[in-house]
Amino acid sequence: MQKVMIIEDDPVIREELALLLVNENYQAAAITDFADVPAQVSHFGPDLILLDLNLPCQDGFSLCAALRKSVRAPIIFVTSRNSAVDELRALSLGGDDYVTKPYNIPVLLARIRAVLRRSGGVEEPDILEANGLTLHLAQGTASANGKSVELTRNELKILAYLMSRPSEIVSRADLIDALWDSQIYIDDNTLSVNVTRLRSKLAELGLPEFIKTRRGMGYQL
Amino acid sequence: MTLGEFLSERLGRILLQLTCAAAAALFLTATGTQPGVLVILFLALTLVFTAVQLSDFFRQRACIQELEAVLTGLDQKYLFAECAPPPKGLYERRLFDLTRRAGRAMVGAVSDAQAAQREYREYVERWVHEVKTPITAARLICRTIEPDTRRKLERELAQVEAHAERALFYARAESPEQDCVIRQANLESIVTQAINGHRTLLIQSGIRVEPEGLDCSVYTDEKWAVFILGQLLQNAARYRGEEPVIQITAKPLGKQIQLTVRDNGIGIPSHELPRVFDRGFTGSNGRARGGSTGMGLYLCKKLSGFLELDLQITSEEGAGTCVTLTFPARENLTKL
Repeated sequence: MQKVMIIEDDPVIREELALLLVNENYQAAAITDFADVPAQVSHFGPDLILLDLNLPCQDGFSLCAALRKSVRAPIIFVTSRNSAVDELRALSLGGDDYVTKPYNIPVLLARIRAVLRRSGGVEEPDILEANGLTLHLAQGTASANGKSVELTRNELKILAYLMSRPSEIVSRADLIDALWDSQIYIDDNTLSVNVTRLRSKLAELGLPEFIKTRRGMGYQL
Repeated sequence: MTLGEFLSERLGRILLQLTCAAAAALFLTATGTQPGVLVILFLALTLVFTAVQLSDFFRQRACIQELEAVLTGLDQKYLFAECAPPPKGLYERRLFDLTRRAGRAMVGAVSDAQAAQREYREYVERWVHEVKTPITAARLICRTIEPDTRRKLERELAQVEAHAERALFYARAESPEQDCVIRQANLESIVTQAINGHRTLLIQSGIRVEPEGLDCSVYTDEKWAVFILGQLLQNAARYRGEEPVIQITAKPLGKQIQLTVRDNGIGIPSHELPRVFDRGFTGSNGRARGGSTGMGLYLCKKLSGFLELDLQITSEEGAGTCVTLTFPARENLTKL
């Protein structure tokens, strides 16, 4: 489980963010005492640090510089200061990304995943398997029963999202949200069209009932 | 100042001199002075008088020209009285003194107003940054409540954020030089940021966004461009029609890049089109739907001016609206 350290002075955001990250299967810890932050961070040994800019005692910039001396984990600045100058300064001080408040939660999670991936922390699986279907993410193909079909980018993302949550009911709204993360900006109708096409491709592989529709709730594998 | 103007102003004095000369001539003739002597006297008098008037004219003209040069050379024209050389004559000195006192009062008023405006801008900026913390917290808290209510609340929070963002850019547009940094930026990244910034509104409005051919560089301030594009996306979502689609495409136009944002929304009546960039103009669509501030496009136009972006809008009622943004070529930028 990957460890995320939250350095943020607003107690509500701190707690809610920690809850969110725990739900997303990270191990989260937050700094509550802002004296000697680098020592606390070193002690926790995080894989990623979320750092606010406006902090008591020491501002985020100088803290980032101090952290860089002892900690190698990537740092994402999360702040409400959105001037170009602040952003440049943050990145030049060794920040890995800069997210401005108020962030969209899916966007923040996507940025966290991207930074962790770049820092080599996680190997996202290249192959997903569920209920007899194998999805090859890099080639963009799905195979089952010795047959294989090519998928479009949209179909690939839809199937990957569903397969990473086997037996879970995924609402259409959540699915659309997830697709927007991957810069596929589709609406409800387009989603239906894509799912229909995807189903007919899966039927060619002999899996006509692979994606089940749960009326009024969403899709389920 | 021309000689004609100068003489016409001195007409009274010249007439008085001539009348006095005539009276003196009459008196001298009556007392038996010879006409030849009179002519000599008259010529001498005229010569002296003309010389004096001419020298006055040239002195005044030189003085005015000097003052004009001082004014032209000044950045802050209202500091003129502080920089002009004081005059020599008693009457002029008094006038000059009055002007200078009036000028000082104005300089004080101007610098007070500037300080107040700066403080106000700083306050608005700080306020916007502060309000973002509770919005973020509220968004995080929303996550745990049941989906329908959550989506409604998220939409309202997105509205709050959009209003706060407009306030921030309104304040920034008052002194753009403090914030606007024009440099090379990737158009795709700008569009992605704008879409992500308004994703709650766009997704919930059931909009399909189709970006295409955006992988190119433009010279602009990234944050400002993201804001402008965000206003266009908000408008497209607000005034959407059936099966809403927003197409965002870019094409090179010589060395410039033209970005087109086209929607299939309800469109703008043609007689309202010339006024959509006016401050506070809401139009029949805005009034019909409510919640329109008339600030979005006004700010877009204002910020475009600083970015040297050409912003054009065309629309057909019932068919959609098309906004084109032409990013300047690097060599045409005056403030890179």
